[in-house]
Amino acid sequence: MKEHEGFSKGEELLSQAIEECLEEDLSFIPPEGEIARKHQFSKRFDQEMQAFLEEISASLHKKRIQRHFSLRYGSIAACLLVFVICGGLFYHVIQNSFDDFTASDQAASVEEIAETAEEAEAGEADAGGGIEEAAEEDAPMDAPAMSQETDKGQTKEYCGRTVELAKLQEVPDRLEGVTTLVNCPVLDEENMLLYLTIGNTGEEDLQYWNQYDLEVWLEDGWYRIPYEEQKDGQWMTLEAGMAVDEEIDLTAYQIDGKAKYRLITYVGQELLGAEFTFEEIFTKTMEDLEEE
Amino acid sequence: MFLFLALLDSLEEQEKFTELYNHYRHFMWYVANQKLQDAYLAEDAVQEAFFALIRHLDKVEDVYSPRTKKFLATIVRSKVVDILRKQKPEEEYSEELADQKGSADILEQYLTKENYNCLISCILELEDCYRVIFEYKYMYQLSDAQIGDILGISAKNVNIRYFRARKKLQKMIQKEGNRFERA
Repeated sequence: MKEHEGFSKGEELLSQAIEECLEEDLSFIPPEGEIARKHQFSKRFDQEMQAFLEEISASLHKKRIQRHFSLRYGSIAACLLVFVICGGLFYHVIQNSFDDFTASDQAASVEEIAETAEEAEAGEADAGGGIEEAAEEDAPMDAPAMSQETDKGQTKEYCGRTVELAKLQEVPDRLEGVTTLVNCPVLDEENMLLYLTIGNTGEEDLQYWNQYDLEVWLEDGWYRIPYEEQKDGQWMTLEAGMAVDEEIDLTAYQIDGKAKYRLITYVGQELLGAEFTFEEIFTKTMEDLEEE
Repeated sequence: MFLFLALLDSLEEQEKFTELYNHYRHFMWYVANQKLQDAYLAEDAVQEAFFALIRHLDKVEDVYSPRTKKFLATIVRSKVVDILRKQKPEEEYSEELADQKGSADILEQYLTKENYNCLISCILELEDCYRVIFEYKYMYQLSDAQIGDILGISAKNVNIRYFRARKKLQKMIQKEGNRFERA
């Protein structure tokens, strides 16, 4: 309780008089103990005031608990806030540093990116090539694409069949280390076989496909004669320095024996063409000729 | 009541309140009973006084000081006034109507050392409804809002009562002065 502040002299005097009067009134009141001896509060009053005091105590206890927890929550919230602020500052600093870095080295980065892109493209190209090469390397292990491709737009009639112009007209008769030769090209009804000799003059083993395309020369080019009966072929290995005679069954083709022919052999990834013609009357063997 | 409980923030305040209750409840009852002449109504006044006190414990510095005793006496007397007003509300209403025709406030002119004894006798005769307003205002220097909170009335009504109390005191001093002059 404050002392008389901002009071006028009259008010000071009034204040003093009021207090003096109150003191005078209270001076007639007996001491607390004496009143207590004479007066006993009612049970209702005691009970109500006791309940009130207990509620004050309970309320205060509750408040203390709430304050304790709110203080804890406050501490947690403060920690989180500090963490967020620190995180934000850290992010800001890092971001600025990164911006500076990117600004100064932007050109270099662009060049690096371009180089990387180029390298990546080159790598892809190399990889593509590799795959192709691998495919090429793997190709001998698979069946060759249905013999030599033909130009389906250009066809002719031969022996009652439609023959298609072979796309590859120029086919070598020998490769480095490999030669093919058609022996005994005689069209004989009793002996419908041709013998194809494949020689490996090289130093490494080679693989060849034991199904052959027969082509006929008709005025303007080589035309492939279709198979009468397609047989399953397979890759055969021919060791270095060795030769092999393969029998060609002519019954598989429809021919008249009057034209020029060639046998296309698949050796690895290459094609070899062995040209030949049939002798009309050549029934005698070489031994018979020698005797004559 | 629970609103009052929310106002006690610390253990010290709780202890202070308990001490005030244990030390002054009989004294307060005696003060109330002097005015009311009814033991049970006096108990009600004491109870209401403690409920009001809990909101103004900050005004109590020392539990055992004479000033605290006076403050509790004022509070309980103001609660007595409240009880009496509830018993006879028409009296105050009629007084308010009568006061509207009052004269100018020249109390300050009578507040002199020469008139001090006259002032004392007038204050002792002044009704408690006005006296407690002076006590709150001049002894404890409470604002109209704080006084209104204790009395359960608005600050505006506190102000009205205060000026009414001044006029009443002014009239009493004037009458008393005239009596002294005649004597």
